Amino acid sequence: MKPMKKIICQLLVFVMMLTLFAGCKNQDKPTDSKPADTAAADSKPSGSEPGGSEPSLKLALVVAGQFGDRSFYDSSWEGANRLAAEFPIQVTQIECGNENHTAQMKNAADKNDVVVCVGWEFYEIADVAPAYPDVKFIWIDNETEEPIPNVLNITYAQNEGSFLAGYIAAAMSKTGVVGAVGGEDQPVINDFIVGYKQGAAAYDPKVKVVTNYANSYDDPAKGKECALALADQKADVIFQIASAAGDGVFEAAKERGIYAIGVDSDQKYIDPEVIICSMKKEVGNSIYDAVKALLAGDSSKWGSTWVADMSNGYVGIGYGEEGSTQQVSDEIKAAVEEMEQKIISGEIQVDTTR
Amino acid sequence: MSEFEKILSTVFSVGTLQQMLRSATPVALAAIGGSMTEHAGIMNIGMDGMILMGAFFGVLGSFLGQSALAGLGLALLIGVLVGLFFALLVVRYKSDEFIIGCALNTFALGLTSYLSRSVFGNNGTKGNPALPALHLPFLSKIPILGPMLNDQSLFVYLTWIVVLLAWLFVYKTPYGLWLRASGEKPDTLRTAGISPKRMQWIASLLCGILCALAGAHLSLGQLSGTFAENMSNSRGYIAFACVIFAAAHPGKAYLAALMFGFFEAIGLRLQSYVSADLTNTIPYLITIIMMVYVVARKQQRKKKLARA
Repeated sequence: MKPMKKIICQLLVFVMMLTLFAGCKNQDKPTDSKPADTAAADSKPSGSEPGGSEPSLKLALVVAGQFGDRSFYDSSWEGANRLAAEFPIQVTQIECGNENHTAQMKNAADKNDVVVCVGWEFYEIADVAPAYPDVKFIWIDNETEEPIPNVLNITYAQNEGSFLAGYIAAAMSKTGVVGAVGGEDQPVINDFIVGYKQGAAAYDPKVKVVTNYANSYDDPAKGKECALALADQKADVIFQIASAAGDGVFEAAKERGIYAIGVDSDQKYIDPEVIICSMKKEVGNSIYDAVKALLAGDSSKWGSTWVADMSNGYVGIGYGEEGSTQQVSDEIKAAVEEMEQKIISGEIQVDTTR
Repeated sequence: MSEFEKILSTVFSVGTLQQMLRSATPVALAAIGGSMTEHAGIMNIGMDGMILMGAFFGVLGSFLGQSALAGLGLALLIGVLVGLFFALLVVRYKSDEFIIGCALNTFALGLTSYLSRSVFGNNGTKGNPALPALHLPFLSKIPILGPMLNDQSLFVYLTWIVVLLAWLFVYKTPYGLWLRASGEKPDTLRTAGISPKRMQWIASLLCGILCALAGAHLSLGQLSGTFAENMSNSRGYIAFACVIFAAAHPGKAYLAALMFGFFEAIGLRLQSYVSADLTNTIPYLITIIMMVYVVARKQQRKKKLARA
């Protein structure tokens, strides 16, 4: 009986370990773009190989954290899904869960034509990309020190969008104190914050901006505590820049009867009574457009850094879908639009930490 | 008001004390659970996974039954199952508790993420029925202490009862004596005709239940029915540090958790003046200081014994 027990025990442990992998969603999404494929196959002269439904491009979406944040990563997910739906592209999604970024990137490069690395954490791309000269890489939210021919860096002018968020926050505040909860004290997050502060000061230099960092991207309870701490300092509009931890900011705002501002995606739908607007960073759209250009044969952007900013429409403010509750008055919206034009024309220079 | 006074008034406000209680509660509940297994001689580092399971199944129950009580019920049920599962592997099959604890943590992360996506989709869930905060009118008349203790989640008050019950159980009942003996002198206990294994089963079971309660507080008490992947955020490990620091005494474990909560609250408020990277190290610094204290205390005792 003794060895039997041991085997059972080992099996149980093994099963437990397996579920770890069940959590990592690494699924091949067969494209649903059958019509386009068959059309392409039909147009080919007869005698072409029967494998006409082979995807023309294999794309891997490698995210540094995990999906389900309803903002940054999920936005990239939507972009990849749109690509898969509209073009004969096979999309593989890989979640690093905040570890093994390099290994996951290599795994993706082994099997795919395009690897999209979503997150500022993929520093090793500078070593990995030259080893795969035939693979096109896209690095979201950061850039390599030296240009690499097969890497397209996409950075976002989140400072410009945050400027508008800060302007709206200051305009909506009754106490004259507005807040921001960041994920980590780190350049991209701070880029949001400097823009936000400048925007608030643009509305009224007397407005005070208080900030803190949750030091986590997936702990909503901590995010809530951060927002409550800011509310204790009289902040009555709070900007969340903390991914899933930011969910807690919305809850704190609801509890205290104050306002919150969403980030990356248009988050109004999450709680329309509390979230007055969102700073949109269209990660999904930028991936979509870059890959679409690549499919059309334009790879001129690779080997450089593309700044997706307000002038090309990848950064801006969203007020939710039509018909949702609006707290921001039309006058403020008009003023925001004016600010937007000034940023695009270069009349307003927004500070940056990038 | 001078600048220094301003800093003091933001850092040490009623809000700081409120947050101390809120943040300490899940850690304290888990730490009391961990004290049970610690007394029984099991080093349980799987508490983080147990908390995460409680958090997820609390939300799931609340979602399915559309009531917070259903959530609490399901979390408790899962706590029982996880506790039994842990005991099955560690007590019955004598596996290494360290490995099983690690496995439990990764297992819980994988399982809850998988189930969360299967049930709620990629976006997670929020706004399910949550446990209400208690408003006690008589408290609002007392300054500082009143607002600090008032309007807290049910669990905050429940934890005080749990601390008392756990202390009575461990130190004032024969079961508690057997529990401690099962860890320290299992052979003696066996001679007395009581199975140490049985006590270890009970300890694991209690630990599972209390950790599940801690998770339910996180998702249903502190948040309004929200689940996010990996939301336990290493609270189980902090709880483990509290267990060691308190030498598995439930009351001291609660105080240790309060201390962690207090420094977390202070750290958040200090961020307006000091770098967040620095304030972020506070809990870990405290852990190191605690551990040094524990070791020093032990050595002192040894010396005393040697002299005597």
